[in-house]
Amino acid sequence: MTSAIAERKKEEVATPQTGEPIRNRRVFVPLADIYETKDRLFILADMPGVDEQSIDITLEKNVLTINGFTAPNTENELKLVHCECPEGNYRRVFALSEEVDRDGIEATVKNGVLKLILPKSQKSMTR
Amino acid sequence: MDFKLLPSKWLSKKNSLSASRDNSSELNEHKEEHPVYSLQSEMNRLFDDFFRATEMPMLGRSFALSPFTAFEQNGLTPRIDVRETDKELRISAELPGLNESEIDVSLSRDMLTISGEKKQESEQNVKGWYRMERSYGSFTRSVSLPCEVEQDSCSAVFKNGVLTVSLTKTPQAQTSTKSITIKKE
Repeated sequence: MTSAIAERKKEEVATPQTGEPIRNRRVFVPLADIYETKDRLFILADMPGVDEQSIDITLEKNVLTINGFTAPNTENELKLVHCECPEGNYRRVFALSEEVDRDGIEATVKNGVLKLILPKSQKSMTR
Repeated sequence: MDFKLLPSKWLSKKNSLSASRDNSSELNEHKEEHPVYSLQSEMNRLFDDFFRATEMPMLGRSFALSPFTAFEQNGLTPRIDVRETDKELRISAELPGLNESEIDVSLSRDMLTISGEKKQESEQNVKGWYRMERSYGSFTRSVSLPCEVEQDSCSAVFKNGVLTVSLTKTPQAQTSTKSITIKKE
């Protein structure tokens, strides 16, 4: 299982689910860890180059969408001679299985990693 | 090319060791079809690539970059971009989830090495894991530089999970590229 994950490269989203982008930029799927504790769900997503201002998280019913936007490289005098990290945005959509308390969602971005804390709602906890 | 090393010729009477230049065309034909030659040229090419990249970093950049294009991609080895101007070489690496204190950047002559260890955030009372795509552990990546750089004017910035190392090319390396004007005859 670990080797299969290790082989994952920077994957591009084949078809964005909603809307068509105006600008022609690549969209990548950020790698993510998801785990839960008794009362909270945690999502960690690697999005290098993204800070707190350039991230957009929406929760619609049980569909969580993460959009991360990276700043295009504007230093034109620099010539790119070797490229492994092509420019692009990040997008990933998760379907949450348990009811989440929308008001209690916390999101922090640190060192290019998004950390989402989703508290489970009382309804789902007592179930 | 030493004629004595031609195995295909050892048994032939016509081509003794005192081969003259007359049958050089025949030799060339053998060169193309004989598997020994294709192996030999392949070996030569490999050696050339290797030594050019390590010993003669000033010859250019296409081959000097080839050693790190073949790196094995695992989840931890940082992906890098290399950009340059006439005077500067800038290498950026994606290192999400690390602090600047956990990254070690070192420069030795024509080799830049980025290493570090990514530690797993320990959360108390984890009930279950649903996905584990990110990797943890120590990593190292060495980049052979395409030209000589000043050893003491190296700076690195870490922002939003992207490390950017700026290196200044030496005056010799800056002037090593010379454009040749083409005259019309």
